[in-house]
Amino acid sequence: METWIGRSVPRLDGREKVTGQAVYTVDVELPNMLHAAVLRSTRPHARIVDLDVSGAQSVPGVKAVVTGRDFPYTHGGMIKDQPFIAFDRVRYVGEVVAAVAAETEAIAQEAAARIRVRYEDLAAVFDPKEALAADAPILHEGMADYPHSPLYENIPGTNVCTIRTFTKGDVQTGFAEADAVYDDEFYIHAVAHTPMETHAAVAQHSPADGGYTVWSSSDGPHRRSKELAEALGLPVNKVRVLSTYSGGGFGGKGTLVAEATVVALAAFTGGRPVKMIFSREEELSAAQTRHAAYLRIKTGVKKDGTLVARSADLIWDKGAYASKGPDVTYRGAMTIFGPYRIPNLEVRSRLVYTNKQIAGAYRGYGVTQVTWACEAQMDMIAQRLGIDPVALRLKNCYVENDTFINGQVMKAVGLTETLQRAAREIGWGTPKAAASGPLRRGRGIATTLKGTATPTESQCVIIAAMDGSVTLLTSAVEVGAGQHTALAQIAAETIGVDPTTINVPNSDTFNTPYQFGTTSSRVTFHDGNAVRRAGERIRKRILEIAGEILQTDPGRLSMVNGRISEEGVGERAGIKEVFSQKFPRGGMIVEHGSYCPAGSELLKADPGMPQGLSSAFWMFATHAAEVEVDVETGIVKVLKVAAAHDVGRVVNPQLCEQQIEGSVVMGISNTLMEEFKLDRGRVLNNTLADYKLATMMDLPEIVAIMVEAGHPEGPYGAKGAGEPAVAPTAPAIAGAIFDAIGVRITDLPITPEKIRAALKKAPC
Amino acid sequence: MKKPIELTVNDELMQVEVEPQTTLLELIRDGLHLTGTKEGCGMGDCGTCIVLVDGKPVNSCLMLAADARGRSVTTIEGLAKGAELHPLQQSFIDQGAVQCGFCSPAMILSAKALLDEDPHPTEETIKRALSGVLCRCGSYKKIIAAVQAASPKES
Ligand code: FES
Ligand code: FES
Repeated sequence: METWIGRSVPRLDGREKVTGQAVYTVDVELPNMLHAAVLRSTRPHARIVDLDVSGAQSVPGVKAVVTGRDFPYTHGGMIKDQPFIAFDRVRYVGEVVAAVAAETEAIAQEAAARIRVRYEDLAAVFDPKEALAADAPILHEGMADYPHSPLYENIPGTNVCTIRTFTKGDVQTGFAEADAVYDDEFYIHAVAHTPMETHAAVAQHSPADGGYTVWSSSDGPHRRSKELAEALGLPVNKVRVLSTYSGGGFGGKGTLVAEATVVALAAFTGGRPVKMIFSREEELSAAQTRHAAYLRIKTGVKKDGTLVARSADLIWDKGAYASKGPDVTYRGAMTIFGPYRIPNLEVRSRLVYTNKQIAGAYRGYGVTQVTWACEAQMDMIAQRLGIDPVALRLKNCYVENDTFINGQVMKAVGLTETLQRAAREIGWGTPKAAASGPLRRGRGIATTLKGTATPTESQCVIIAAMDGSVTLLTSAVEVGAGQHTALAQIAAETIGVDPTTINVPNSDTFNTPYQFGTTSSRVTFHDGNAVRRAGERIRKRILEIAGEILQTDPGRLSMVNGRISEEGVGERAGIKEVFSQKFPRGGMIVEHGSYCPAGSELLKADPGMPQGLSSAFWMFATHAAEVEVDVETGIVKVLKVAAAHDVGRVVNPQLCEQQIEGSVVMGISNTLMEEFKLDRGRVLNNTLADYKLATMMDLPEIVAIMVEAGHPEGPYGAKGAGEPAVAPTAPAIAGAIFDAIGVRITDLPITPEKIRAALKKAPC
Repeated sequence: MKKPIELTVNDELMQVEVEPQTTLLELIRDGLHLTGTKEGCGMGDCGTCIVLVDGKPVNSCLMLAADARGRSVTTIEGLAKGAELHPLQQSFIDQGAVQCGFCSPAMILSAKALLDEDPHPTEETIKRALSGVLCRCGSYKKIIAAVQAASPKES
């Protein structure tokens, strides 16, 4: 029986956050710091024919004005296609054309406004389907020359940034064997991450050694260091990235955004640090978005509901630059088959450049998009065949030891239980409240599976200091999900100390070891395993030291909450006393732990199938929603969501609930409220008054259910939570709307106008 | 042109010089370095900049610093008494009402203003009082629970 796993230990960062002491990137203040402002493109696609910065340079207080010609580098973790600052060409409204560093932000803004640009407009394209046309304007003629990983194949001479395909079995045979074949198209819209802390960064250049120090709330400090180093031709030991607390990321802080601008400026300020904070307007129009996508799926099914074949054609809206899109859409595409056993599969996924704000990673990493299509179609199939939607899913869904599409044997599959428990909690199959006036009730359900970035590395260092106090050095970022607390619990459990006494400082790539990133719900599993390994070593050494001081066999010693006991004797000493005797003149013990699932038997795929599709662990989630639709206004009110998540062993129930409840709110907001209003790629609703988010008034009853399918390789059985959490909400709501009024919405967001229009065509 | 004003911040009487266009938020964050107060939009739309002025919640990005002359401003830094947290701060931790924490100062201060006026608010009242503060982490359910738990026990 564990002491600390499974307990709602209060988050370690709670006290700092409720007292206002927590330092976010926007709070970083350094001596001699300058402030940045940028001039952004007003054109969706244009050549810069003339750029006159003299007006800006002459403003008193301006220290540097930098253009793409001054700093001609490009970056991109997957495809190096994005200039730090546009050179000679802009590809979306909002692209940085020039940057200014000045004594105050107001001066920098005034100076930026004095920069004169002459553009020569180029034909622009805003819809990815149009961008695929043979005569479409091309955004990246030089695509073939961009350095990129061989994983991300592009089609030079077109706007196809990446194309990926996958085939298994033979879909044509499958369709021929099916009793019915359904071909449907769905659309999912772009949304903004909208963290309450906008993008921000501070950078300082060292003219002495040519290196940079960057303060950022990016979710992957070591990868940002690597991307900067690669872009600038520096070794990573000259690019230091320091993490602050993050005021929300949701995937949007996983590439170089504000960081790119401040680094470019810092190169020209003689060592003075430069800070940039995005305004809310910039955040909504020039940060990143979720990829919008057209998702066409064709599914062959037997009369009894058995799925036999599925083909899919996916077109993703990239916006102007690759960012993490190649991987997001690949992971998404390979999940279009849902958590279901389907023998014959085929997918083509094309990621297409358009002259719009860049799309990037967004909570769910492509899976949110495909879950919308997959689950909406499952409902439509159920309806067409007259099968209960829950029964249809249960009939086809993965169970323990089923194989994923590449043949990986799946372990710890708690999917069935998530379906059953969410359905039960929403009252599936029980009578609903009767219609009253214009109000109609309905229920819907949707499920999803999500893998994690695999194989990826996490390392950590644990220190037990001379007084026995423990520090965990990790580069996992506390993005708000309680990463530091969960890791402290795993460390505490393994070592035998109280987690609330463990110090987990914010990371610093010069002092905290590598980990791939705080993404993909991977931290608890990967960093947790690294922490467990380091913790076991620390514990062993502590007990050896105790054995030496207490003159007994360490094998007879154990430690709980820092108290050391001897078998058959009882408590002997505290870690503090033992250490003060061992280290009378100071000292510490230091241990390292690392984990990467590469080479694990668990990842084995069928011969000839891509092992890259295997996941270290799989998460499953089912959301069931009850809604009320007003048939006169078309307004949908979500009354209740039951959200059941298979997270493996729960490390901290309260933190898990936060992820689940928070994602339901985000899912409702994305589905019913959020939508960009665009005019030729320009975001018209770039304020929070016009780009609406869910408020406390929109909160439904939320029941978070945790299913614990313990994972054989997870630390204490844990998997992960958070990323898959937003995906099933939209299709569950859409299903509930159909149940209420018989109207099927296939393109997001679901707005009152769409409901009214659909009702007009088919009144209920 | 800077003008001197006198105001009370977190029970401390102080004299500061402000430009006529300086907002209270700028004075608090940049002038007084009380960075617990956050800016989420600068336009009155998100509520993360809420502080208490004479006990009432105010979007500090919309108020001019000069208008705080002679008034009493409470920021999140002014809530704890030494090491002892305000019951709402403790309750936010205990109930898990904090995730990224960026909205927490404004949520806690708004809740304080509410409980000072109505010690036993209904869920609906809490929702209405706090709905001006956006939380993208979606902590709403637990924030309501935290406010309820911090409401003084009936004797
Ligand atoms: S910063 Fe004041 S309301 Fe958003
Ligand atoms: S806790 Fe992150 S915005 Fe509220």
